[in-house]
Amino acid sequence: MSNSASKSSAGISPSAALGGGPLGSIGRVWAIALNTFREAARIRVLYGVVILVLMSNVLALVLGEMSIYEEQRVSRDVGLAGISIFGSLTAIFLGVFLLYGEVQRRTVHAIVSKPIQRWEFVVGKYVGMALVLTVLVGLFGAAMAAMVTYQGGGVTSALLKAVVLSWCEVLTVAASAIFFSSFSSPFLSGIFALAMFVIGRLTPDIAAATETAKSSWIRLVTKVTLEIVPDLHLYSVSGRNVDGDPVSVHGDFVSWGYVATSAGHGFLWIVGLMALAALLFSRRDFA
Amino acid sequence: MVTDLTKTYRTPFRRRKVEALRGVSFRVARGEIFGFLGPNGAGKTTTIRTLMSLIKPTGGTAQILGHVLPSRAARMRVGFLPEQPYFYDYLTVPELLDLAGRLFGIDRATRKKRADFLIDRVGLGRARNQNLKKFSKGMMQRAGLAQALMNDPDLVVLDEPMSGLDPIGRKEVRDLITELRDQGKTVFFSSHILTDVESVADRVAIVARGQIQTEGTPSELVATTTISVDITMRVAGLADDKVAALVARGPGKSRRVADELHVVLPADADVDAWLAAAHADGAKVVSVSPRHESLEDLFLRHIGSADSSAAAMEGRV
Repeated sequence: MSNSASKSSAGISPSAALGGGPLGSIGRVWAIALNTFREAARIRVLYGVVILVLMSNVLALVLGEMSIYEEQRVSRDVGLAGISIFGSLTAIFLGVFLLYGEVQRRTVHAIVSKPIQRWEFVVGKYVGMALVLTVLVGLFGAAMAAMVTYQGGGVTSALLKAVVLSWCEVLTVAASAIFFSSFSSPFLSGIFALAMFVIGRLTPDIAAATETAKSSWIRLVTKVTLEIVPDLHLYSVSGRNVDGDPVSVHGDFVSWGYVATSAGHGFLWIVGLMALAALLFSRRDFA
Repeated sequence: MVTDLTKTYRTPFRRRKVEALRGVSFRVARGEIFGFLGPNGAGKTTTIRTLMSLIKPTGGTAQILGHVLPSRAARMRVGFLPEQPYFYDYLTVPELLDLAGRLFGIDRATRKKRADFLIDRVGLGRARNQNLKKFSKGMMQRAGLAQALMNDPDLVVLDEPMSGLDPIGRKEVRDLITELRDQGKTVFFSSHILTDVESVADRVAIVARGQIQTEGTPSELVATTTISVDITMRVAGLADDKVAALVARGPGKSRRVADELHVVLPADADVDAWLAAAHADGAKVVSVSPRHESLEDLFLRHIGSADSSAAAMEGRV
């Protein structure tokens, strides 16, 4: 080690800059988030997912050519399905590995021994993941918009709303994956989060089963399931009825008010899941 | 200050109780280098992880710099190097130090200045643009030391800081530890290597089987106990049977090298009587020196007694 450096930390006194600092919790959360973004950006699987989604958009072009005057419809449907499905699967993948990996590789030791609270660490991981997923959803949306524009269509507000709804869905799924990984292995977390995604998408069918089921046990189970699983169906409404009216991304779609309400619903789920994840994570020993 | 710290684990499947810490108590004075010495599995790392809030103790209390743990205010003033440090291998050293600095709330300009100083101080200037992935174990240890010092801490906690380093690296870490002490910082470090502790620590605690076996300055610990008396005498011209009688008289061990006979008597032997008898037989005493217990003897004695008492306890159970 070099002895050439001057004494006493080169006259620097970081102690003066300590004491919570101007950033406080937000600064620490942001530091973890940026680091998580950097970590996730190095995961090659993500680039594979991007290529896959881009290819599916190109495939939509080919399928559109085979349809009769429905080219734009096919591009929109394939594009939105890509955002929702690939976005959610990526959220599950990142959610179950990024937090667990910190504990497994013991990188968490050098972090939580610093003046950061455990909840700040969990939230930081989530925010970093959310940044990555936002970039991905943006890329997928841009690719879809490019295909639709190529086919002579435009980026309508309905399309924009549908992308925003899918983005909310992806962020909610990511929160559930982080929640599960705060107490279980990646394999189990992946299964739980995937189950939550599938069940969340089927909430209207489960609600219907609740009403028609003859067994009181089945009614109880379906009712409880509806309470403990986020209603992801809210984010995928094209082709269904909302408040009695049919909505479609190809025609009349939901209002911005509906988008805001659904986003609020997702936000509450994210806050709840993060609070539980932080609670579980703060009780863990890092031996 | 650590008081009666206990930690009990349950094994994953059989739910068997494992007592990693069994009432660990010690006190570290400000401005001293405190060596925490013990064999692998003694409870050193568990104690340190408890102090760093990585593990919750089952019982007992601990205070760091006047703050009762767990305390974020205490962690603000502590630098920590984990055992076999793992860092984000996609980062460079400046990025790692920047992350550490952000977590301490240090402003950007100070972070940069401090990181540059520390990178130079730990000798990683040439590797500053390399990812940690390409670092050797020694380089990783240096990077770990740098991040531990990022907040200019009052207390530096180092878990096996010399582990995996070559002799030059070990000396550099020892020099850094003494330099930190000279700057007024308190250094608490663990090691299972006796010479590392002996050479820099102002005070030492020996831990084994989750308990502190003894604690004090190296001189306090080793100077008080005489374990044997070494006697050297000339036996030239003495008949072999006389030498044999001389040897047979003493309860200790003996070894003849040319005209000299070396005898080691136990500490409780009547040395005066033995010397008088040897003199009477015609031997010439060259030297008589009491042998005090070395830190190594002390260490091995405590480890041995901890093992046998634990075995006795297990036997009783």
